[in-house]
Amino acid sequence: MTQDRHGDGRTSTEEDGAKGEARTDGGNVDYLESEVSLFSPSTPFMRDHLRMIWKGFAVWAVIVFAPPVLTFVAPDAMSTTMPVIGFPLHYFLMAVGGPTGTLLLSLWYTRRRDALDDKYGIGEGSTETGGTPDGAGEAAADGGGEA
Amino acid sequence: MSLAYVLQSGLLPEGLNVSFKPLPGVLVAAMLLLFLVIGYVFKISDTEGMWVAGRSIGNIENGMAIGANWMSAASYLGMAALIATSGIYGLAFVVGWTANFFLILIFLAAQLRRFGKYTAPDFVGDRFNSDTARALAAITTFLIGFVYSIGQARGMGLVGLYIFGDIGIPGLTGYQSMVVLMMTITVAYLALSGMLGATKNMAVQFTILIVAFLAGVFVVGWVNGYSTLLPQIQYGALINDLSAEFAEPFGNFDGFYIWIATAFSLIVGTAGLPHVLVRFYTVENERTARWSTVWGLFFICLLYWSAPAFAAFGTDLYAENIGPVYGEGGMATEAADVIVVLAAQLSNLPTWFVGLVAAGGIAAAIATTAGLFIAGSSAISHDIYTNIVNPDATQREQIIVGRLSVVALGALTTLAALDPAAPIAALVSYAFSLAGSVLFPMFFLGLWWENANRQGAIAGMVSGLVLWSVPMINEVVPTYGLLGGETLSPALATWMPAIGSALIVTPVVFIVTIAVSYATPEPPKETKRIVRQCHSPKRMKRQQTAEDIVTDGGEDPADD
Repeated sequence: MTQDRHGDGRTSTEEDGAKGEARTDGGNVDYLESEVSLFSPSTPFMRDHLRMIWKGFAVWAVIVFAPPVLTFVAPDAMSTTMPVIGFPLHYFLMAVGGPTGTLLLSLWYTRRRDALDDKYGIGEGSTETGGTPDGAGEAAADGGGEA
Repeated sequence: MSLAYVLQSGLLPEGLNVSFKPLPGVLVAAMLLLFLVIGYVFKISDTEGMWVAGRSIGNIENGMAIGANWMSAASYLGMAALIATSGIYGLAFVVGWTANFFLILIFLAAQLRRFGKYTAPDFVGDRFNSDTARALAAITTFLIGFVYSIGQARGMGLVGLYIFGDIGIPGLTGYQSMVVLMMTITVAYLALSGMLGATKNMAVQFTILIVAFLAGVFVVGWVNGYSTLLPQIQYGALINDLSAEFAEPFGNFDGFYIWIATAFSLIVGTAGLPHVLVRFYTVENERTARWSTVWGLFFICLLYWSAPAFAAFGTDLYAENIGPVYGEGGMATEAADVIVVLAAQLSNLPTWFVGLVAAGGIAAAIATTAGLFIAGSSAISHDIYTNIVNPDATQREQIIVGRLSVVALGALTTLAALDPAAPIAALVSYAFSLAGSVLFPMFFLGLWWENANRQGAIAGMVSGLVLWSVPMINEVVPTYGLLGGETLSPALATWMPAIGSALIVTPVVFIVTIAVSYATPEPPKETKRIVRQCHSPKRMKRQQTAEDIVTDGGEDPADD
């Protein structure tokens, strides 16, 4: 159970050898030694990832909060009836725009994040499946239970 | 006027006749039986199955489970109710309850999967190396399950009453009898299944609830000539014919403020709800965690696009057939809470169809209550009993304690739902305020700021719990006839409403947690490495946790 775990960068070197060409971090980043920070990313992967996150977050904040704020500031302009579909604009932006905008944004993020995984050479899902028999390591890992 | 009186006087039924209806009755009974059978077939015998379904759930199945787990009576019944009675304020729920998933997607889903533990309190306890923090999170989880389920019980009671009529438990009203019956069924079902059974059931429950809701909105729109193929857009043209209250922009700053407070609270609340977050522990890997969030959100949008349409149709039908919706003598909250069923009834559709729409509401309530009770009982059994009280507990003991907790939650919820304080959506919102105030800051800071430490987490959670209680005591406790029966401070209720208190409390908890963490020693190196492992792009095995990687398979580091 323990030998197939890559701890402390030891086995990660071997793994990087196999995947080395695809990586843009040169394969020598030790992620366990690089600080996690929302504002000053310490690895190229984190920098790329956070750029996506903040971009998405900014667009999200506009989708969620711009309609009510504008409706409060300019109620008349915002409640104009829209052509064809007949919605008052503010109603449409909240009831239809809110959920739809978030859904599209989520799709955008997830696709971009997959692309980011590919860029860093972890294309086919960054968690291996079926590596260990189910539950084999859990009891030890959790230190509890009688499994 | 008490709810009991309202129901006996026949105010709820307005056009919705309360009596035993054979065909819908059979339909709902068959559905409940199906849940029991599925739960039994996939019943579990170990704790891994009980809590995280063996970490075996794939993309679309987990997306459906996210949808079923998420869409409760509050989405199915309560949201249309608020949209119908409170105008654009109700849209804060449509926006807040979909926008939340993007926040979870970018900040929490994959990282939580990599962390790879069992429950939300597990995360808090292990990340902050503290049994006190674990216990605080477990108590909060239990409390969330309780508060959240009151609204579900109310929904099941009202809808069940419509289908089965007054089953006449002595000493209780028809509504109360139905709450007792429905909660008994829910508890029995959970005792039989566990997480794997409940997750398998959620796909079924999702299918029933989404088919029932969409069929309802399409057919109601069609037979009344409101819409043809796209009711989700076509109701727009109806809005100008409805009372102005339906779509009126904010009348004053208070209206705007409470919209923002509610939406904010619902968003951060979701990102702290244990029964939602546990869905990311049950998936195969972190990519599945992300994609199933997108799938889940899509499934949720199907209902959320339709709810305002249903509300618009219902409002119009109500005004035409029964009376004014707004103002004095307008629609009662009990009638609003079943407006989805009412709209079908008022369209003169066959009873089996109205029954189908009602059955969807019950499926929604049961699926969510199941998720909540499992999260709540695992908090007691796994986090408090096994991790703190009796570390040598056998699997059998753990499961017994878990089942007893489910029964306790069921009893508490039933009692509180006999005379509920508010409409479904409002009841549920109190739980969101709690989750957003106490747990969301722990997840967010725990995963994104490696210097957040034990002292900070404990101080943050305690202040979150205390501050959340303030508006609850101010507004909600008095509605149960305690503390004089009136809101204690109307000014406080305006600025820190129970329904959206997280707008104030969450930032305070962030500040407290950060300040205390700065003032006290940094967390151990190993904890920081676990946080880093949650963000690393390196692969992990399915059953591995971040802690396994960091300790290289060594012993579990001792909690404090």
